[in-house]
Amino acid sequence: MKYFNLYSNIFLTKGANRILISDLQRNNSELQSLELNDIIEELKSNSIEEVFAFYDEESKEIAQEYLDFLLEKEYGFITAGNWDKNFPPLSLEYVDYNKTSNLFMERNELIIPIKLLQSIENLQIPHLVIYCNGKPSLNEFLKLDADFENSTVETIEIFAPYHAAIDENYIKHLSENTSRMYNLVFYNCHKKPFKVEDIFRFNLLFTSQDLKINSCGKVDLKYFDTNIMKVLEAVNHNSCLHKKIGIDIHGNIKNCPAMHNSFGNINNTTLEEAILHKDFKKYWNLTKAEIEVCKDCEFRNVCTDCRAFTEQTHKNNEGLDISKPLKCGYNPYTNRWDEWSTNPLKQKAIQNYGL
Amino acid sequence: MILIISKNNEITTTEVIKWLIVMNKKFIRVHEDEVFEINTLKKRILLKSYRNQFFIDEISAVWYRRGGIVFKTLNYQNQAIDRYMFEVQHWLIDYVIKSLEGKRHINKQSNSHLNKLLVLEKAKQIGLDVPPYFLAEDMEDVIIDQTIVKPITGTPIVDHIQENQNGIMYTSVIEQKKESSFFISFFQEKIEKDFEIRSFYLNGKVYSTAIISQNDEKTKIDHRRYNSKIPNRNVRYKLPAEIEHKIDLLMQSLDLNSGSVDFIKSADKFYFLEINAIGQFLGMSEACNYDLEREIAAYL
Repeated sequence: MKYFNLYSNIFLTKGANRILISDLQRNNSELQSLELNDIIEELKSNSIEEVFAFYDEESKEIAQEYLDFLLEKEYGFITAGNWDKNFPPLSLEYVDYNKTSNLFMERNELIIPIKLLQSIENLQIPHLVIYCNGKPSLNEFLKLDADFENSTVETIEIFAPYHAAIDENYIKHLSENTSRMYNLVFYNCHKKPFKVEDIFRFNLLFTSQDLKINSCGKVDLKYFDTNIMKVLEAVNHNSCLHKKIGIDIHGNIKNCPAMHNSFGNINNTTLEEAILHKDFKKYWNLTKAEIEVCKDCEFRNVCTDCRAFTEQTHKNNEGLDISKPLKCGYNPYTNRWDEWSTNPLKQKAIQNYGL
Repeated sequence: MILIISKNNEITTTEVIKWLIVMNKKFIRVHEDEVFEINTLKKRILLKSYRNQFFIDEISAVWYRRGGIVFKTLNYQNQAIDRYMFEVQHWLIDYVIKSLEGKRHINKQSNSHLNKLLVLEKAKQIGLDVPPYFLAEDMEDVIIDQTIVKPITGTPIVDHIQENQNGIMYTSVIEQKKESSFFISFFQEKIEKDFEIRSFYLNGKVYSTAIISQNDEKTKIDHRRYNSKIPNRNVRYKLPAEIEHKIDLLMQSLDLNSGSVDFIKSADKFYFLEINAIGQFLGMSEACNYDLEREIAAYL
């Protein structure tokens, strides 16, 4: 008898009509039929010969094709006599070293007040994202980077409006004199000041889009990401808000700057105090498996959730909003992608948010 | 205070340090370009470099990761004095290194560079299967296509073999006999493998990864010849208890409490290949979700 062994880093997510096969080592995912999922399930408790015996002659051929496919993709291997029990399952435990992973701020300037710098240091926040409304000078950028010298901050991402002072020399100077800048996006830029090449120590993007803080939260195939840490985080926690802190333009401390609920203002509350609030972490462990519609979606473990903009249709017993993200146009029951913003069922929520 | 002996930008060190910070454990990271002076202050021994200084008695644990702690030595004009002072300094440095190695530690500077030939002998004594090997300076006894040649050095990298180029000595199968003789080389019987296993050992615990490359001609002999398009399958693996026990005995006999151990699985046998005490393991740790960085930080 021969046995099929699925590799432990091949992760299957079953949706209403399809499955997503995620290769957590090779960082890619592909859609497959529920039929393949059934065969994989049967192969877990039966030998290949036994599984083939379930099928009539015609279906046997299809089953063989599926098996060939699994082997060709290197999703598993065949052993004789028994499954190879020395291949234990992957632990789905999610472990990371930080207490808080990122701070997302909307600000008018890049310079961060000393009190806030101290909180970032105390909470050992590794990743900062600043959405800036003002037009930052070169010196503001340099000061921001220098403020985090010898800190545990690892990366800084900036979204800022483009202005005429930003040219190749400005960016070159930044690249040579900063160490934590990781991703710079200049929005509202209708003509790129120079041809962007991959020579800087950070990612750089000039976009003509007029980005706003409420531009966030869109769900699309192009934002899906198969990566073991991200998938494990999504399986165990909320894929957007887990370990995140937000500060809105008025200084209100939130789970995300685009969300409503505030846990104090930076003028009178420290981040350390705010995250101790009993409700601050209430969304951290809300997984896609508990969110309406998403729970039946094959993409739920490679998708990034959004609690700032939802369809506002469901709440769970603890009062958590478990509605589908508003800016998702995918329907897992029909497997169709439609434009979310024109969906008649979403118009009420869209109006509520003033989008 | 934890002393970490490593190299600049060594990524594993950085990942472990992230955990140490979260665990509120204080540490000092020493780099290869630091030179220490041995001083005394109020009867305590103080080590001082341009960026670090600490008393030996402050150090509670030592992690030897890479490189080595380097000490400044003085030279004297009078040759007799110079020879004498050389010995004085030698014993002083020896005392400092041994004192540090006497603390709670992961690996030691003094024994992390292994003699592959002695390790193979030890492995055989302990009862691990080792593919037959021999040293030779010609190919008279080599059986074509059934013998591999590999370096006996710790690192396979030949720095600056040409301008701006490093060479890597990969393990290769002998496909053609050379008539001439050459410098003594290490030959070993080629084992038809099912797959390779790399086991990370830390204080008696073994975390194994199967590296399955058989489908791919490019990586058949040496998995370091990565195929970047379709990487080898790296998955969690559990060695039989008897093999894990022998790894434990082997590591203890070499006085190593951490390292990577390589095996080939062929049918129902596990052939021991070698140990790398300072090998890279982050890739395996992530692929198998072992969180080895946390385990190391927790031990220190």
